[in-house]
Amino acid sequence: MHGNEITRRGLVQAGAALGLAATVPAAARAQGPARGEPLRVGVMTDLSGPFAGAGSQPLFWGAEVAIEMFNERGGVNGRPVQAVTADSQSKADTAINEAERLLGQEGLEVVTGIYSSAHAVPLSGRFEQARKIMWITSAISSAVLKDRHLRYVFRPTVHSDQYAEGSIAFIREHAQKGLGMAPERVRLATIYEDGPYGTGVSSGLEAQAKAHNMNMVLKEAYSATAADLSTLVTKLRRERPDVMLHVGYNPDITLFLRQAKAGGLRFKALIGHGAGYSQIDRLTETFGKDVNHFCNVDPAATEMLDWEKLRPGVGDLAKVFVERFRAKHPMRDLPTHASMGFNNTWIFLENVLKPAVQKTGGMSADALREAALQVDIPVGGTIQGYGVKFNPPEDVMAGQNARSIAVVMQFEDGKSHVVWPDAIAGRPPVLPLPSTNAFAARS
Amino acid sequence: MDPFLLEAVLNGVLLGGVFALPVLGLNLVFGVVDVIWLCYAELVMVGMYIVWFLHTQAGWPLALAFATCLPAIAVLGLLLHLLVVRPLLAAPPINQVLATGGVLFVLQGAATLVFSTDFRSLGVEMPPIELGEVFVSGTKLAAFVAALLGAAVLWAFLKFTYVGTAIRAIARDREVMPLMGVDPHRIYLIASAAGGALAGLAACLLVVQLDVHPFVGLSFGPITFMICVMGGLGNMLGGFLAAFLMGLIVSVGGFYGDTDMSYVVAFLFFILVMFIRPQGLFTR
Repeated sequence: MHGNEITRRGLVQAGAALGLAATVPAAARAQGPARGEPLRVGVMTDLSGPFAGAGSQPLFWGAEVAIEMFNERGGVNGRPVQAVTADSQSKADTAINEAERLLGQEGLEVVTGIYSSAHAVPLSGRFEQARKIMWITSAISSAVLKDRHLRYVFRPTVHSDQYAEGSIAFIREHAQKGLGMAPERVRLATIYEDGPYGTGVSSGLEAQAKAHNMNMVLKEAYSATAADLSTLVTKLRRERPDVMLHVGYNPDITLFLRQAKAGGLRFKALIGHGAGYSQIDRLTETFGKDVNHFCNVDPAATEMLDWEKLRPGVGDLAKVFVERFRAKHPMRDLPTHASMGFNNTWIFLENVLKPAVQKTGGMSADALREAALQVDIPVGGTIQGYGVKFNPPEDVMAGQNARSIAVVMQFEDGKSHVVWPDAIAGRPPVLPLPSTNAFAARS
Repeated sequence: MDPFLLEAVLNGVLLGGVFALPVLGLNLVFGVVDVIWLCYAELVMVGMYIVWFLHTQAGWPLALAFATCLPAIAVLGLLLHLLVVRPLLAAPPINQVLATGGVLFVLQGAATLVFSTDFRSLGVEMPPIELGEVFVSGTKLAAFVAALLGAAVLWAFLKFTYVGTAIRAIARDREVMPLMGVDPHRIYLIASAAGGALAGLAACLLVVQLDVHPFVGLSFGPITFMICVMGGLGNMLGGFLAAFLMGLIVSVGGFYGDTDMSYVVAFLFFILVMFIRPQGLFTR
């Protein structure tokens, strides 16, 4: 967040706000010019537990802003959207119980959100069985959709195979010029949290490296709640990787980096893969300049894009979102998850819910599903730059947005800059890590 | 010797030091009061927040923040005993466990409300010690030495003071000691405060190594309980030795296998111990 300052007033305000949020029913929170019978939409994220600090909280805040702005603009024919919120507490069993509540007691036709792949995998089967819509705004594991031919689960954001493709392509394209070696000679090491998210991305990384004849010297999993990773650091140091590929949440990322620094691990480049690496404010707060020139693969946060190049009106939407979000949650650099929460919720509200309700007068899951399959947004048509077209049920990745794009960004002084793909990169990457960096390989 | 293996062994010993303090505190309380503080890791979490807040927000020197943390968590331990444990001393053990488990959620929830789920970093680093190919974390080494000193002070207190002798006596025979003029409730209070102070010391050592957040207890709480049981519940020396054994299993196991597998090996070892010596590895 913005520094560590906590004032007494801030504490009281935060406590009061959280206490109020916990006691005020969700129904009372939906406000705006739209005044008709509300359209009830579930929003399930992790507002407590480790995932909250690894992006799920800004994911929720982004969705909140989307609903607020949608309602201010009249909702659907004057009917506002009412968020029915659920906190899955970073626990799969809680996520399942909350989903049952939303589908059963609340009688919802659609639930949006879902930060963690560990939750999305079991939940997707339940939603498919119940024939209700699960609209994933964050969880990226390919395993959620791959070979399952789900009909009621949709994911506008990227999936884990795309992270791996982006990461390895970036290294291949910049190895010679940036690292001074042929791609095949680059020593890669992958470490990952052992849930579906880490496993999904790391499997993709291994497959991509193998497909391009690249040298993966170590690939190892760890628990995101591990209290110690120093032996992993020792093994990494023994293998002398040129490029570290890390797939983690938080605080495992900070634990690893802290112990890596103390354990003398040095490398030429580090590439993160979303989640904890997308919380640039937190990383900078903890490590300062030590994380300068680290890279991260994720969908682009809207602020990284040139809004002029987006489709007409999209840049204006992005501008209002960023201003609104920053007014509510002051941050130096909006995390990618804030854009994901807003963008993927906005896509649902504007391009699925609105046409479904306008066409049928209601919002049954089947009407929403039909509308989702009709969505056809060209590249540049959303605030994160990608377009939207969902794969049909017969596709191997049914429900996945075929037009989603992952980019590689690089950190510098608390800001993220797109450095890959070259077509939309704002600048070339800085490779290898400059010798002034605490993690830079010694020559 | 392979320098990387040597480093893994050193890592294991230092990790054992991290586990040892909460294990000692838990064993002290259980040995004397006969109640398991299921919320012990959360007392450590509160202590970590105290140090973080006093040092980074209030601008106190780190030593003063540490010095405040110990008595503050000792008082928290006292309050836990007076408000939660004491009314349930005669209740079935499951009620006591559930009550202290409830405190766990209260403390996690309160920390979330006050500090949010953000990860807070103390921002304190010590340079690593480089011995040829072997790197030893300066922070972990300092924490390890402090843990040993803490354990030595506790040992001297139990061995050479009247109250310490009474605590050991109560731990051996809870029924007889009151007949010999020892007030058990006073001893319970002292043991709870000492258990809290050890949680406070553990907090001081962990806050320089881990980010603090409301759920940080998940990182070391479960394995702490496992070590206590493995060493023999209530057996402080057993728990202390088991902490180092577990540290070595995790670290060397991770070196030869992988990080995840090292915990599988540790849990298998624990299960094996429970089959062979259910009373604990070091209980006579």
